[in-house]
Amino acid sequence: MKKDLILNKNYLSYWLRQLRKEMQLIGPMRGFKGDFVFKSIGQIHEISLDCPASAPLPKEFVFPHVEEMFEKVFSEQEIKDLQNNDKRIIFGIRPCDMSAINLIDRFYSSKFESSYDLAHPNRKSEDSYYMARRRNTVFISIGCNNPDPTCFCNSVGTGPFLESGFDVQLTDLGDRYFVQTGSKAGKTITNSYRYLFEEAQRQDYDDQYEIMLSALTKFEKRINLEETRQKILAGKVRDSFWEWVSTRCFECGGCVYECPVCTCFNIVERTETDKSPRPPLRAMAFTKGGQGGIKGKRIRIWDTCFFKGFTRMAGGNIPAEKKVMRTKRWWFHKLLYYPEQFKRFGCVGCGRCTITCPGRIDIATISQKIKVEIK
Amino acid sequence: MTGSNNNIYMPFKAVIEEAIDMGCNVKFFKVIPIPPHPPLSKGGRGGFIDYIPGQFFMVSQWGAGEAPISVTSTRGLQRHIEFAIKKVGAVTTVLHKLKKSDTIWLRGPYGNGFNADAAKKRDVVFIAGGIGIVPLRSLINFIQMHKKQYGKIFLLYGAKNPSEILFKEDLKAWNKKGIEITLTVDVKDESWKGNTGVVTGHLDRVKTDFKNACSYICGPDIMIEKTMKELTSRGMPDRQIITTLEARMKCGIGKCGQCYHGIEYICTNGPVYTYEEIKKRRVYGP
Repeated sequence: MKKDLILNKNYLSYWLRQLRKEMQLIGPMRGFKGDFVFKSIGQIHEISLDCPASAPLPKEFVFPHVEEMFEKVFSEQEIKDLQNNDKRIIFGIRPCDMSAINLIDRFYSSKFESSYDLAHPNRKSEDSYYMARRRNTVFISIGCNNPDPTCFCNSVGTGPFLESGFDVQLTDLGDRYFVQTGSKAGKTITNSYRYLFEEAQRQDYDDQYEIMLSALTKFEKRINLEETRQKILAGKVRDSFWEWVSTRCFECGGCVYECPVCTCFNIVERTETDKSPRPPLRAMAFTKGGQGGIKGKRIRIWDTCFFKGFTRMAGGNIPAEKKVMRTKRWWFHKLLYYPEQFKRFGCVGCGRCTITCPGRIDIATISQKIKVEIK
Repeated sequence: MTGSNNNIYMPFKAVIEEAIDMGCNVKFFKVIPIPPHPPLSKGGRGGFIDYIPGQFFMVSQWGAGEAPISVTSTRGLQRHIEFAIKKVGAVTTVLHKLKKSDTIWLRGPYGNGFNADAAKKRDVVFIAGGIGIVPLRSLINFIQMHKKQYGKIFLLYGAKNPSEILFKEDLKAWNKKGIEITLTVDVKDESWKGNTGVVTGHLDRVKTDFKNACSYICGPDIMIEKTMKELTSRGMPDRQIITTLEARMKCGIGKCGQCYHGIEYICTNGPVYTYEEIKKRRVYGP
């Protein structure tokens, strides 16, 4: 018999309160102008459980928009590692984002099987910044009873409820939550407060099953990425099609910034002084490197493959100079290369690009278009 | 904490023992890593970083950034790690300001490196264009060191003008050791009495059976592409045509995505590819 639990809704805020004492609590809340964002929670009642399924993006707590990597004072010899080891609990993450994080885990911890490094065949290539954050983060995900009109996670198998790959998954059963634990970290945070939970009864399982079925009926989109993939592989999608797609691309990078799976980054250096927040000129940092406590910081920031400068090399040569090459690459990466490497699509069906893209050339629309127009 | 923790982005310190201006915006650095640097692989002896020809290091100067730079030295021959760096961008401009006994920061070695076994018992044809001689120098020296296992060695080296021919000393030394060298320039001046034109135009001078030889190419993209096609037309099998590509890289370990082409992360799966792989894996794609 499975050991799933039931949490009375009245106990939720007490449970979160207790958890917050141990680690930073992050949850969805309403921002300034009605937007939903994931933020560090000060008051438990600020958590908005009514936020749309895919509105806020919690990716930045494991892969921040700007991550400070190293710091070095120019006059000193040692480098300070700024790796973040804060303990966090993220409440209210959706199953699609949870699957995305599982996929990023595999990417950032992966070894490359191919001919990687003949001299050091066993060298690990694990992204330490991401993994440090990931190891210190526990997720409490909430299944989606009411998927948004843009969602299509059921088509890619990442929702609306997960069967594995979560720490704790809650299902809203009206007056109570159905609680599943899927990892050691998840068990720890439920077992420490076991007195708040009851064991799930037959009726609870039935209710949960019913909720799941009803959620499945609410999807408006039926997207078949596999069919799209097959058509691309068969060479049916011609370059003229991608040409058309690229003419509609604004190169805003919105899809990439909103995508829970995208992980490309750029590494840049910044110089700053203790006294002035304005960074001194680079040249100054070198000539006066020895004095004045000028600090150099190496940071990494999100980057977008739609930007022209993304592949620009020193000297100005840009391999992916034409917009169509960059546009195509994004779709190919998500639809062809992710399945080849990880046996999963690089898309979790959250539908954020559908909302964001001003040119209406998001994954769902393009996939649908390929399905309808290309025989 | 330099290099002692598990952070793969942590660079280690190295000191410049010699910095020589080679002319035409190229500077030659001999560097020695300062321990503690990252753990050495099994083959690593004598406290030195183990690397093979064709690999690269992420070279950085604090405050300017990192750049992927191929090694031009050969382990077992040179005591130092050597780089020949052309001044092209922000980082390399700053690197050019460095002098003897300055420190620089390194990360690596990264990349797959040249597979020298592919050329065993065959004639080897090196084809270099401009700065492309830099990574090849490492391999030429390596193959020269293990001469008995290989056939005849040819080098076809093209530069823009006579003053841009790099490693003139090495060229002399190689010539003495029996490597057949053909030099060519695009634009000649009064002093130049040799060949002119692109390297592909001088393949006839390489007196070898192309079907059985192995070639290593490095240079500008367009030159690589033309040379590979030319070699194919002379009957060289695709898997014996080996080249090394360049790309923008920020991490060197297949995470940042900047070098992503086709299905390949050039930094980890490359930068060395055979023509066969380039065709199959759509490296120049999509």
